[in-house]
Amino acid sequence: MMRGAPSQHVSGTRTMVNFRRRIGVVAVLITLAGSQAHAADPVANPKLTARIDDLLEQQWQADGIEPTRPTSDAEFLRRVSLDLTGVTPTVSAVRDFLADTDPAKRSKLIDRLLDSRRHAVHFARIWREVMLPSSTNEQFRLGAAAPFERWLEQQFVDNRPYDETVRELLVTTGQVNAVGPALFYQAVQFKPEELAASTSRTFLGVQIQCAQCHDHPFDQWTQKDFWGFAAHFAQLRRPDDVAQFRGLVVDTGTGEVMLPDTDVVVQPRLLDGRHLDEALTAGTRREQLARWLASADNPWFARATVNRVWALLFGRGFVDPVDDFGQHNAPSHPDLLDLLARDFADHDFDMRRLLRVLTRTRAYQLSSEVTYDAARRRHAFAAMSVKSLSADQIYDCLQRVTGNRLLSSGPPSSSDVAARRAFLAKFDAPTQQVTEFQGGIPQALAMLNGQVVADASHWEKSDLLVAVTDSPFFSNAERLEILFLAALSRMPTDDERNRFEEYIAVPGGEFEASRRLADVLWALINSSEFILNH
Amino acid sequence: MTINRHSTRGRTACPVAATLSRRGLLRATLGGLAGAGACGWMPAFAERFADDPQRTRHCVLLWMAGGPSQIDTFDLKPGHANGGEFKEIETTVPGLRFSEHLPRLAQLADHMAILRGMSTAEGDHGRGTYLMHTGRPPEGPIRYPTIGAAVSKELSDANAPLPGFVTVAAGQTFNRAAFQSGFLGPRHAPLAVAARNDVRSLQQIEADQDFARLEIEDLGPPAEVGLGQAARRARLLQELQSDFTARHVGGASAMHHTTVQRAIQMVHSDAADAFDLTTEPDAVREMYGRGRFGQGCLLARRLIERGVPFVEVVLGDQGGWDTHTANFPSVAALSAELDAGWASLMEELNDRGLLESTTILWMGEFGRTPRINGNAGRDHFPQAWTSVLAGGGINGGQAYGQTDAGGMTVVDGALSVDDLLATLCGAVGVNPRKQNISEVGRPIRIVDGKPVSKLLSDPIAVSPVGEES
Repeated sequence: MMRGAPSQHVSGTRTMVNFRRRIGVVAVLITLAGSQAHAADPVANPKLTARIDDLLEQQWQADGIEPTRPTSDAEFLRRVSLDLTGVTPTVSAVRDFLADTDPAKRSKLIDRLLDSRRHAVHFARIWREVMLPSSTNEQFRLGAAAPFERWLEQQFVDNRPYDETVRELLVTTGQVNAVGPALFYQAVQFKPEELAASTSRTFLGVQIQCAQCHDHPFDQWTQKDFWGFAAHFAQLRRPDDVAQFRGLVVDTGTGEVMLPDTDVVVQPRLLDGRHLDEALTAGTRREQLARWLASADNPWFARATVNRVWALLFGRGFVDPVDDFGQHNAPSHPDLLDLLARDFADHDFDMRRLLRVLTRTRAYQLSSEVTYDAARRRHAFAAMSVKSLSADQIYDCLQRVTGNRLLSSGPPSSSDVAARRAFLAKFDAPTQQVTEFQGGIPQALAMLNGQVVADASHWEKSDLLVAVTDSPFFSNAERLEILFLAALSRMPTDDERNRFEEYIAVPGGEFEASRRLADVLWALINSSEFILNH
Repeated sequence: MTINRHSTRGRTACPVAATLSRRGLLRATLGGLAGAGACGWMPAFAERFADDPQRTRHCVLLWMAGGPSQIDTFDLKPGHANGGEFKEIETTVPGLRFSEHLPRLAQLADHMAILRGMSTAEGDHGRGTYLMHTGRPPEGPIRYPTIGAAVSKELSDANAPLPGFVTVAAGQTFNRAAFQSGFLGPRHAPLAVAARNDVRSLQQIEADQDFARLEIEDLGPPAEVGLGQAARRARLLQELQSDFTARHVGGASAMHHTTVQRAIQMVHSDAADAFDLTTEPDAVREMYGRGRFGQGCLLARRLIERGVPFVEVVLGDQGGWDTHTANFPSVAALSAELDAGWASLMEELNDRGLLESTTILWMGEFGRTPRINGNAGRDHFPQAWTSVLAGGGINGGQAYGQTDAGGMTVVDGALSVDDLLATLCGAVGVNPRKQNISEVGRPIRIVDGKPVSKLLSDPIAVSPVGEES
């Protein structure tokens, strides 16, 4: 039976289906609680992972920086689930992981997460935001963004080599609303100067648009560089050619760009000033560009991509902001960046492999708890930075806490879609500066008093709360545990157990008990620990 | 830090530091008071306001949804075929006349600058709304912030109990993005006050002898949670927070904690009383007008009293001013609402000594055709229309710009949206050329225009505005 939207009121009468479902939920919750294993994964790490940690440790020793402690299993599970699949683990997943005595469990967890469908969905969303930062604009609500995201999802499901994905995007043809990648062109009205700017920013990490009107003030780009790059997009059929356009991405074989306010035509020229040899000059201009751009020969492509992925996991890249490579903005760890870039290129730009390597490092598995020298240690990656969750992630985590199944069979109902969209509209934040909390008072009020959180912590509407309250099997201690596992993916500390059990144990029968448990869940959901990725 | 003057073709030189990254320099100057390398405008300006004890400036944007008819409000053409039904009345400023349906505003004309030379290029509701709110047409990859977000970002205090930007009755609009904070992110998004559950017309409200009910979404706990329970929950939350934030110094956790504290404080403190209009005497509420706009103006006064820097109040949500048919009765009714709300707001701010630090901008997405159409209505007309700047920082008591005898073109003092918004910034002491970084890494100025010196009462704002990188 399809789970309805969380705002649906679950009526007081218990149908057989509801009852069976709740027993199922209860059964899942009754698994043995495991002890927290603290040992790091002793499986010999691949050479690259070890090399990364060596390089970082050398720098820490040289600078007198002390790394934080390793993450506990619970902390690691939550962090890597959020980073790789966009959502916190289920209660049973937490229990299983904590109870697992396999010394290689962390590596196996990473592999499981990378193979999951959720991983593809999550990374499709991330990459959609990277490639189309304005994609939540009104103009895209008419559905053009959906094929784009579906196309991206398929890339991640197949673990397609990243250079192939980028090349496909750059040479795509076809109808704008039907072919996902075509939106990349539609979003900027096929303008060569805009395509030059977005292409170089997204795939090369280089901001060249400052050189559009004049030579770049302090970086190396001249106006000829900018327009030479833009010339590769000059032969697309433009929307203002109304008679011919018809919403297709098509290369016409004619068209040039000129320096602004002049008649000077600028020939296509690559950013590293090289001239393409005979073999590479076949095909349309876009094909020539794609061949150069998404390749190991291009000095920026691998480095910019690796830098972005590092920033996704660690909160900031070696080059920060991630799309501002240049002489004015040197990488914090140049050897490490080059090492990762070379490896990425040597292994067919395999995104999953890169993610696997990085999440297995000791550095990724360091705690985010830091009480002194915080900024310096975070910048050196000797402490994990606390990261904001995206609006999508917050919503999905709330759904999970409520007990809603995510990605249930079949497409989401229109009320689900509407509820998500309303929530996203309120919480949508720019994806840069993940190490800052982007929300203001309206967002805080939405969490404190809003409908979505109210339903997630409602004693009758939340499957989780109903299961926990109704079941006669649970003691208060166990009820509390389940709430902590669901909301924060960890067991309560002893101090928390005492304080919260006292709170729940106030006399007043079933009525009061269910309200008090709801209070606890509400507080857990509104805490910084819930809404942040630490 | 070395400074290279790099000449750019025909433009003023961009003085930048060769060794600092552009963003590094921006971050250093974002505090507003760093003068190194920046042009002379900003430091002098900032210094002056730092010394000024009355330094809190406010802004009220009165948004007329649908496109208000200029020729029936502030730029009448009596005796001309286009003139229409309304008569002119004298104001307190000799030679300046308004429509007969704005009598109370006429008494406040010395605070108002009537800008009759507005000329823009967007005649579509959605596009025009976006253009007038952001200073740019809705195109391209950048989500520009609405002027309220950009200005409140400069004026607001991060620790204030109330948010820096509030919108009232901006319910159904032609363009949602025009009221949002764009790339400035949710931190600068407006707190929206709306008449969500009160869909009565003004006539209905008046017949009920009632007042429009304005609510903030999520200000109070949901109905099923009692006040006692809400207080208990808040205490539980505080307990959880103290441990986590102690173990994670600075960074995102500290920022989140501060924001939650502010929100809780707002809900449980006196600050939230600002939104409770029932504490005002009925006579005052009536004076403003019983409808959403009138009560919205009253709310604006209360918010300004409590230091909120930017309030936007909408009249005509769902496009009330879009008078393609039956122009005159509609405009007469809307003018009555406008007159009551706006005049009351200015009078009461003035009584409290707050008008001199509050700048008011009145405008819609465009004006209306001088020629009356076959349905006794007027259609969209962006070529020549009127907006009004009033209050603090503005040289009131004048008409700036002029249209021809029939109101068809601007013959003098043409004003673009850029320069209008730049003038607004100048009036409240915000540098319009201040740059914020968009999500694609591009530095974007608040607005690309230049303030019109004739409209500003403050001489400092008149100095030449250099490029600030």
